[in-house]
Amino acid sequence: MNKEQFVKKLDVALKKLPEGERLDILQDFQEHFSIGKEEGKSEEEIAESLGSPNQIAKELLATYYLEKVEDVSTTGNILRAVWAVIGLGFFNLVIVLGPFIAFVSVLLTGWVLAVAFIATPLLVVVNLAIYPDTFQYFDLFFSLALAGLGLLIAIGMVYATRFVATGFVRYLHYNAKLVKGGLQHG
Amino acid sequence: MNIQFKKGVLELCVLALLDKQDRYGYELVQKISDRIAISEGSVYPLLRRLKKEEYFTTYLQESKEGPSRKYYRLTEKGRGYLHQLIEEWQQFSIGVTELIKEGVRDE
Repeated sequence: MNKEQFVKKLDVALKKLPEGERLDILQDFQEHFSIGKEEGKSEEEIAESLGSPNQIAKELLATYYLEKVEDVSTTGNILRAVWAVIGLGFFNLVIVLGPFIAFVSVLLTGWVLAVAFIATPLLVVVNLAIYPDTFQYFDLFFSLALAGLGLLIAIGMVYATRFVATGFVRYLHYNAKLVKGGLQHG
Repeated sequence: MNIQFKKGVLELCVLALLDKQDRYGYELVQKISDRIAISEGSVYPLLRRLKKEEYFTTYLQESKEGPSRKYYRLTEKGRGYLHQLIEEWQQFSIGVTELIKEGVRDE
């Protein structure tokens, strides 16, 4: 691979980054190549020791998405950051995707429970509309109690969701640090 | 050498090289790869990340031989972080050395 091929591959892999940032990165590598050539190395040698442009791009993208998640943690941003960190290596598929799915399932379960409890009085009303003669006060009061409990769970879930989201972003950071590198085995 | 080892110390190496003097990217990369087998390209993402975390600043300087070079200069924050890393590293390496002495049979 010569300089042009290397820079082009890197450029394509970084197309998701903002223009300014991308040009700045490419500039760093242009500089690296020109100093290397002054020292008498060939473009191919330099590219060889730099390693895979795709791997370098993955590391840069992971840092970029983690930063964005810090500014605004929307679902989309978190998902993109999860994906970018997973992209750093297969190892991460297990240690990032695993906990991610676990956390999301637990949160989802909590929310489903809360919504179901809140909806119970409505179900009693529906039941009453269809079979008016089966009405019992017990059903009504019990469903109201469940709805109250559901509201409390929902409030709890708001905090739990926020807590898990920030905790997970922190975990992603730690993880990206752990696997940053793309270093060769010696 | 184990891949995880190197990842952890690369950050420390970069910061340590900048303690006494400012250096440009190529220089940093060569200094490290002379002693540790790494994919040289992976130093650049690290440099960008450390810059974003304000551990150093950069400036351009003309060179006699060719195009201007981007120099990296350690900030006070970076120096503080370096010393924290050095301390952690020293405790870590003392611990490992002692465990080796204790656990591995002499020849």
